[in-house]
Amino acid sequence: MYLIKKSQVMDIAKELQKEYELYGPVIDKETKQTMFVKADDAAEIDLNAPIPAIPPKHVLFPNYERIMSYKYDRQNKKVDIKPDFDEKPKALFGLRSCDLTGVLCMDRFFLGQEFADEVYKNHRKNMFIVSNTCIAPFKQCFCVCTDSGPAAQEGYDLNLTDLGDQYLVEAGSDKGKKLAEKMGLAKADDSHKKAKENAVDKSISLFDSIATDNKAWISRVMNRVTTGLIDEKVWEYIGNQCIECGACSFVCPSCTCFNITDPITAPDEADRMRTWDSCSYEGYSRMAGGHNPRKPVEDRRSKRFFCKLSYSQAKKYLRPGCVGCGRCQWVCPGDIGLPNVVTYIRREIQK
Amino acid sequence: MNYKSGICTFCGTGCGHLLDVRGDKVCGVFPMQNHPVSKGRLCVRGWNVHELLSTADKITTPLIRKNGKLVEASYDEAVACLVDNLAKYKKDNSEEIGFLASSRSSNEDNFLLMKLARSVFNSNNISLDSDPGHRNSLDVLNRATGMPGMLGSLEEISKADFLLVVGIDITKQNPIIGSELHFAAMKGARLMTIDTRNTQIAKLSNGFLQIRPGSYKVAMAYMAKVLVDENLCDVDFLKRYTEGFEQFSKTLAALNDDEVAGKTGLDVEQLKNAARDLALSKSAMVFFSSGISGFDSDTIGYIFNLYLMAGKIGREGCGVNPVTGINNLQGSYDMGIAPDLLTGFQSLSDKSAIDRFNKEWGVKLNTHPGKSICESSGKLKALVVVDHDETIVRNVNEISKMDFVAYIGSYKNDFVNYAHVVLPVATYAETDGTFTNTERRVQLAKKKLEPAKNVLPAWQLIAKIAEKAGAKWNYASPADVMAEIVKLTPNYAGIAYDKLQAMGGMKWPNGAARLNIESAPRKVSFAEIAGGLSVPLASEEYPLLLMIGEAQHYWHQNNLMKKTSIPLREYNATLLLYPKGYVAISPQDAKDLNVRDRFTVKIVSPYGSMEAMVQVTDKVKPKTAYVAYFVDDMVTKFFLEHKDVLKRGEDATIPVRIVKV
Ligand code: SF4
Repeated sequence: MYLIKKSQVMDIAKELQKEYELYGPVIDKETKQTMFVKADDAAEIDLNAPIPAIPPKHVLFPNYERIMSYKYDRQNKKVDIKPDFDEKPKALFGLRSCDLTGVLCMDRFFLGQEFADEVYKNHRKNMFIVSNTCIAPFKQCFCVCTDSGPAAQEGYDLNLTDLGDQYLVEAGSDKGKKLAEKMGLAKADDSHKKAKENAVDKSISLFDSIATDNKAWISRVMNRVTTGLIDEKVWEYIGNQCIECGACSFVCPSCTCFNITDPITAPDEADRMRTWDSCSYEGYSRMAGGHNPRKPVEDRRSKRFFCKLSYSQAKKYLRPGCVGCGRCQWVCPGDIGLPNVVTYIRREIQK
Repeated sequence: MNYKSGICTFCGTGCGHLLDVRGDKVCGVFPMQNHPVSKGRLCVRGWNVHELLSTADKITTPLIRKNGKLVEASYDEAVACLVDNLAKYKKDNSEEIGFLASSRSSNEDNFLLMKLARSVFNSNNISLDSDPGHRNSLDVLNRATGMPGMLGSLEEISKADFLLVVGIDITKQNPIIGSELHFAAMKGARLMTIDTRNTQIAKLSNGFLQIRPGSYKVAMAYMAKVLVDENLCDVDFLKRYTEGFEQFSKTLAALNDDEVAGKTGLDVEQLKNAARDLALSKSAMVFFSSGISGFDSDTIGYIFNLYLMAGKIGREGCGVNPVTGINNLQGSYDMGIAPDLLTGFQSLSDKSAIDRFNKEWGVKLNTHPGKSICESSGKLKALVVVDHDETIVRNVNEISKMDFVAYIGSYKNDFVNYAHVVLPVATYAETDGTFTNTERRVQLAKKKLEPAKNVLPAWQLIAKIAEKAGAKWNYASPADVMAEIVKLTPNYAGIAYDKLQAMGGMKWPNGAARLNIESAPRKVSFAEIAGGLSVPLASEEYPLLLMIGEAQHYWHQNNLMKKTSIPLREYNATLLLYPKGYVAISPQDAKDLNVRDRFTVKIVSPYGSMEAMVQVTDKVKPKTAYVAYFVDDMVTKFFLEHKDVLKRGEDATIPVRIVKV
């Protein structure tokens, strides 16, 4: 545990920028929207910015990305395949704990199973993560219901906590420790640890008054979602409100579905593109031959919530797939962001 | 920051987005949280626009047809070829030259094309290729109020307490407007849908009336009659602000309940209740489609008159609101893309307007109104087409007979096969330009990346053509073009690029959220109704009424969507299921015909026939059928036989017989 003066905290970002591409929350001057993006200058990053509209997912799993290109040699009947990996070291600076949890979910999906996804692995392997404890929630947050905040518990190299005029800097890895030592940060003691605990407790107590948009008591609902004991009418009510835009998947820090296409670039050459996909699209679950097990929109919706809220899925992520950031509620053209769906289901249970 | 703000380029909603631009690539898209229209939402099309912008399917070099083949050329050569060929047909009134403009082009590009046609080539044959529906709306609204655009606004949806949706599948056509309506209903507004099909918005409504095809105007006229009979008209409002009420109300007297029930298939009590809800609400809006399946003038007239009687025009949270399907359809009419119009809906026969244009442009404009390509009846010899969006080339017979066809556009498409010269232009992300959404909101989409290989933006290319043809134009940027537009267009007064920098742009006139009824120079007049209240009738021989509309991903046969991967897959998902296109019928009719989903049937009308597969759905009522307007054969063959019928817009209902094959 270390300390750094508030006025100097961005030195960590500057130090990282020497070795890494630096990403962090940046407030766009024109639109006033916070985006988690690459910062050309560390000074663009604002640790006090509201939760970024776009989660850091796109750094590891870009919206639209070339993952390889290939060329067919007709004469020799040979294919030349060139993978297109991005292994540039990247530092994520000022990550909120919900978003870090999202990264961990993605790790378990892309790396934690039989197949390791090489494309993802290359984005991920040289990464440095600096998380930032939320000393107060935002309007849409409900990470306390999904056990993913307001302070990060794992997965960071360094974690920052605002203690007033200084930040507590906790190292979560050797890499993190090395950097703190290299920067000669002052050592923190138990009183600072206590101060952090107080700050986190205070943050949790503020949820009642500040985080008023969403409440998602998901534990009760997980049982129902897993067993499928939910009245069809509830799914129909939810399905009726789905305009099939895909937004909920795209803004979700833990959604990992993608589609692959091979646009032709020259007569015997093509790229392989990977693009975000969404289970709300009809074509997503259609199988070759035309059969679609999830044709009605309400079936596709229930699939999404199964993915986020069932025990069987939670086994894969070692936690619920929902990280409590509240973004899906914000972008949804219906009123069926995850927290609301949880509310609808709870209402039905109560009946 | 690599996310650059812009405006979604697909539909008339005009949502705000951020494009993830890295170098010369668009790598992603994200909604704009604080945008006044979309407030952080996008629909399936908007969420995948980056796939379109990064397609390799672009035109990258000028082409000239030599010995039947298109070969690469320089801009100078291609422009010279175009100018030389048009010059052959140039007269004082160049009746043989036509221009087919695009409702996707920016205001600046459309304005310059209009200027090129009229002032350089003396041709008033300039038009959009489709969407006469919006022209009907603008004509009705302009005649009655002097405002050729949406009378209310999207921004005031949340202030209306009665919302009526008539004959528009709005969560598919303009999904984010559908979302606004849904939100308003959840907050307590009364949302009512009248449609032939059980659409998503119908399901989200407090009330839904499933009406027989072709009888919307009967329902609207009847609701108006209810206001008169039950003394629910806003009498003070009518006296103070309107004229023509007496005359209009007299025409309603003859309507009787049985006739209405018979024609609409509705319980008249329900219509009465709807009329009462409208009259008793504090503020009310109505939304209807103004695109390809828009209404005919009479239906729009009845809708307008109904709202006028209820006093629901020109007040906060009120308005008669046509909804445009394509992003700059409103802007295209604002820029005078019609044979008989100058900018801002000024008529070509308006002497003082013509004088202003003559003076500004230093020319003497040809004032014979032109003809649109659909009306040209074989007279055109040379045609310039801009950014034609449809894979399926309508009017293909006429076009292939022409001596000369030029195509100007960013993306490859089938139209190129008919062109003698092809000129590439930059995409909308590669130049500055403004677009006017369905609520008259003029928004600036700024240049975000460089066009490929010296490709010119359209405004520069058009200026180059004009110059080659001997005109002297002097624009350093699209901002200069806008300055000229504003000079010549009274309802664009006050608009300028420096004011448009802020998110959300500015609505014409003067940022107005709605028609300003207080300061109108004259009283608002009731819309004239031309025809009677007859409805298309099924007969024993042709017992089903066939309706024509849009399906989710086929939205105007959109060539652009096919250049993406996710929307393309969605498109294919249905095409694979129904490769010949589909005709939706009710489970009961399916049973009577002894067919199941995906069985092939023949649709026979008095004029022609086509084959399609059936889709069995409870969205349509028995004795009605619905086809999505997108599959090749349907458009080029079957519907062309029904050109006259189709002109009637949403009323375009064809009595047919369906037989099992
Ligand atoms: S509603 Fe229209 S403008 Fe908005 S994202 Fe969809 S296509 Fe684009």
